Amino acid sequence: MTIPSIDDSIFVQRFARQPSIVSILPVKMTISGLIFDIQRFSVHDGPGIRTTVFLKGCSLRCFWCHNPEGLRMTPEVQFLPNRCLTCGECVVACGHDGQHLDEDGRSFERQHCVACGSCVEACVAEALTLAGKRMTAEAVVAEVMRDRVFYETSGGGVTLSGGEPALQPEFSAAILAQSKAEGLHTAIETCGQVPWASLEALLAVTDLVMMDLKQVDTEKHHAATGAGNERILANARQLALTRKPLVFRTPVVPGVNDTAAEIGAIAAFVRELVSLRAISSNGNGPADISWELLPFHRLAADKYRSLGLEYRARDLNPPPKDQMAVLTEAALASGVAVRAN
Amino acid sequence: MPTLLVQPTAFTLAARYEALRATKMAHTAEKWQVVGAMNHDDWGLILPPPDDQEIVQAMSGSGVMINDVRLKDIPIERNHPGGGSYGPVAVGRSFRALLDRHPVYVDPASSLAGATMVNFMSYRKQHWNPDLDYSHLHAEQRKYQIHSGIGGAQHFCPDLAIGLELGYGGLLQKIAYYREVNAPEHDGFYAGLADVVMGTQDWIRRHAEAARQMAAAEAQPEVRRNLEEIAEMNDRLATEPPATFREACQWILWYLVTARMYDGSGATGRLDLLLLPYYERDTAAGILSDDDAAFHVACLLLRDTGYIQLGGPDAAGHDVTNPVSYLILEASHRLKIPANVGVCVGDSTDPGLLKRGVEIMFEDRLGNPKFLGVDRTTEGFARNGYPLELSRQRAYSGCHWLALPGTEYTLNDIVKINLAAVFEVALSEMLSESTHPSIAELWERFAAHLRRAVEVTAEGIDFHLKHMGDVFPELVLDLLCYGPIERGLDASAGGVDYYNMCVDASALATVADSFAACAHWVEGERRLTAHGLTAHGLTAHGLTWAQLKGYLESDWAGDDGERARLLMKKAPRYGHGGTIADDYAARIAQLFTELVKEKPTPAGFNMIPGLFSWASMIAMGKEIGATPNGRHAGGPISHGPNPDPGFRKDGAPTALAVAVAAVQPGYGNTGPLQMDMDPGLGRDAEGIEKVAALIRAHFALGGTQINLNVMDKRTILEAHKDPSKYPDLVVRVTGFSAYFASLSPEFRQIVVDRIVSEG
Repeated sequence: MTIPSIDDSIFVQRFARQPSIVSILPVKMTISGLIFDIQRFSVHDGPGIRTTVFLKGCSLRCFWCHNPEGLRMTPEVQFLPNRCLTCGECVVACGHDGQHLDEDGRSFERQHCVACGSCVEACVAEALTLAGKRMTAEAVVAEVMRDRVFYETSGGGVTLSGGEPALQPEFSAAILAQSKAEGLHTAIETCGQVPWASLEALLAVTDLVMMDLKQVDTEKHHAATGAGNERILANARQLALTRKPLVFRTPVVPGVNDTAAEIGAIAAFVRELVSLRAISSNGNGPADISWELLPFHRLAADKYRSLGLEYRARDLNPPPKDQMAVLTEAALASGVAVRAN
Repeated sequence: MPTLLVQPTAFTLAARYEALRATKMAHTAEKWQVVGAMNHDDWGLILPPPDDQEIVQAMSGSGVMINDVRLKDIPIERNHPGGGSYGPVAVGRSFRALLDRHPVYVDPASSLAGATMVNFMSYRKQHWNPDLDYSHLHAEQRKYQIHSGIGGAQHFCPDLAIGLELGYGGLLQKIAYYREVNAPEHDGFYAGLADVVMGTQDWIRRHAEAARQMAAAEAQPEVRRNLEEIAEMNDRLATEPPATFREACQWILWYLVTARMYDGSGATGRLDLLLLPYYERDTAAGILSDDDAAFHVACLLLRDTGYIQLGGPDAAGHDVTNPVSYLILEASHRLKIPANVGVCVGDSTDPGLLKRGVEIMFEDRLGNPKFLGVDRTTEGFARNGYPLELSRQRAYSGCHWLALPGTEYTLNDIVKINLAAVFEVALSEMLSESTHPSIAELWERFAAHLRRAVEVTAEGIDFHLKHMGDVFPELVLDLLCYGPIERGLDASAGGVDYYNMCVDASALATVADSFAACAHWVEGERRLTAHGLTAHGLTAHGLTWAQLKGYLESDWAGDDGERARLLMKKAPRYGHGGTIADDYAARIAQLFTELVKEKPTPAGFNMIPGLFSWASMIAMGKEIGATPNGRHAGGPISHGPNPDPGFRKDGAPTALAVAVAAVQPGYGNTGPLQMDMDPGLGRDAEGIEKVAALIRAHFALGGTQINLNVMDKRTILEAHKDPSKYPDLVVRVTGFSAYFASLSPEFRQIVVDRIVSEG
């Protein structure tokens, strides 16, 4: 199976739904959403020590995505055959003819799977796991609050990532609002491919926006991510017009944007955003915009395999250090602080 | 000149550091060859000359059997038919005889002379006097696998300030004075003390003479001058107290190496406070640069891996961090060998020292320094009924422990109850006796047995305190305590003012996870919704007590057993946060704390609970059968208060830090957090700050100590495969640090498992 195209993902239905009253949601209103991980001691997703909540479902299909379990908007079973003991407990547990163990060997018929989780519960070897869990915003915040003291000593907080947090705008807003009410610093990581209203609705409860800029050429963007970049660039401009601290992030991926010219083009766009912000604020205060270049890494092969997805980036090599240095140099033309990890 | 010495390429400080380190590696390589694996502190010990070596099996100062090398033909005075040497007179004479035969060690690259080559304890044929019988305790000590501490030496902290003020001549006068005051009582004790001092003085004089001879034969003027200085300095120090910074380092070194040789003591305490007056005087006089000061300290650290506290409060609560604190940290950084330097972290401590400590941790990747939650240990100790002013003076001076320098006797780190053994007794008793076993009943039985284990431990402590002074008195540490000389009493026998006896629990995670696995899979609600038995006879959602009994007895034999084991392992784990296992860990720690604090020992001595296994995880697991947490029979128990590796998939350091903070007993003794981190985290100032924040947060939550390693998974895996490729790789094993290549394969595996799952 290849990566599902954007058109057949549930996100299209969700996409049409405009966020309603998220910005005035009462803090305690119970609302649930789908997440696939809560990572404590997250140190690369904003200032200080953070907890990152990964929301499931994304509006892009970047072929190198290192969180493929975050792409679809529904729970899915991950299967790692090398862990399987072939004990057959999952076959007994599965009520949907998804798990097989016979003379032909062990197989997982994903097309029958409804991701009910029965096989996952029965699997002692943890060869079967479930990506995607529905949780209430309160439960998520309760988990996040376990590390409150670490946020206090480090100036950290909570980051919503994914997937794409703005695809579950009410859920995201509720987590962020409750976190803010607890006094936490809040951040979101967005791919930007969402209606402006969805993003805007989160801003009131977000202290920092981290947004991907992958390509300024829309056709190349489409080829790499499954969608053009018009909406993303428009949203970036909208964000520039606010006073919200912004960190743009560019995953440097071979063949996608790993030349000085391509990074230079993004730099020019960032420069435009800085000007926009200066105009909108009459030059008052710092722009509070920075940019990070993140070299592609090839660590997601097992995840793709476990999801029955093709890993199209499997043969790509991470950009070497000297190349990253050249690209960082090109990025400096943006006039903002650039950091290469 | 001693063998294996590496000469510096030039007589610059940089080249001398290089040469000292190279010599250290040569000594270490020789130890690997002669001694084999060493699952303990490096000690800074070097081997005797090859033609004077004999290899023995002996009890180390930490109370475990080790392969040891000793000098041949030492005339030990044996005054018991069984061949033992007991009491201050015989022990003092024997130690003096050892000192008289102990080779000198002068390395021209170093600014200080002296080194330990042997453990005096390794000459004790039968350490405990068999006439002092405690067989009435044996059965229960074995049943609960109690490390009783009976016969345990050192593990408390002298006050070096006494010696720095008096010098060896002054100490000898003090002994003579009180010998007369108390005469004729305790005469043997004074004779023993005097023998130790006179033996040390002669040993120092021999070093002065050796240095003088080496100087005479030395062609290079600056090397010759260094040797002459060593000779002059030690001529004086044989009797006089030190006058300069360098002399103070040399005096401390003499004391530490004799204490180390005598019974393994590495308790140094607050070295930054002790050296400060000398530093201030010498720098004001223009005779000491910071680089020279750091070098002298490095020469001291090279020869003894003593436990050192940097910073922390004075009696009034003001942080004492000073330039010497930074110099000591810097010295360990420049030296780059195993070291046990602890940085105090508290509300009022200098944040710069913490920052520098974390920077060094990430730059050197040698598990140095460690971090001390000084506010928590201070408040905790006060809960025993002591004023805060006294509490604040308790100094970090051993693997996981603190002691009041010169005034407190503790048996720290050598009295331990193996919770896994207590649990095993409770579980097997229930499974064989009970018709309706249940988690509630298991808990009750566990609590009852733990109560008994604490009582048996307390009885053992009393027995030790009653007799230790007559068996093997602390003739070196007594010299620098307040009371033993004055009263004529050994520190173990009423010589000092405070007796706070350490009682540690080990295997917390093993037992918490075992309780949780039973609660979750054997009688949890999940089982009620079970799909029923499968072809394998194992329910898809749990197992019965009878099945569990069978699997444990067979050590999870067969395919079914392995599935059952994995099922039990899949239960919620201590450390994940918010699980039933986290609850059990907290309950067990609380129960243990309450039982230890419930009453003093029968003789009235205060006990203080802690959570620690030292490096005994393998030994303590050997006799324990399979446990319900999926552990195989004979496998290692869990490490200190730490969750078992794999406690959650992301191994989040914050989860680990929260978990370990939540189980602290809270009476001033520690439950150190052992943490392993990926080097990438500290690659920039922001990362360093995040690690510092993590450390502060653990202490804010109640944590007491942090042992940290920075190590990437690939390096440790490669080093495990072929340790000889990484001879200078140092890991903080637990409270102590050691060369990775010095550890036994099974011990290395424990370190590797931890780093691979957490780092």
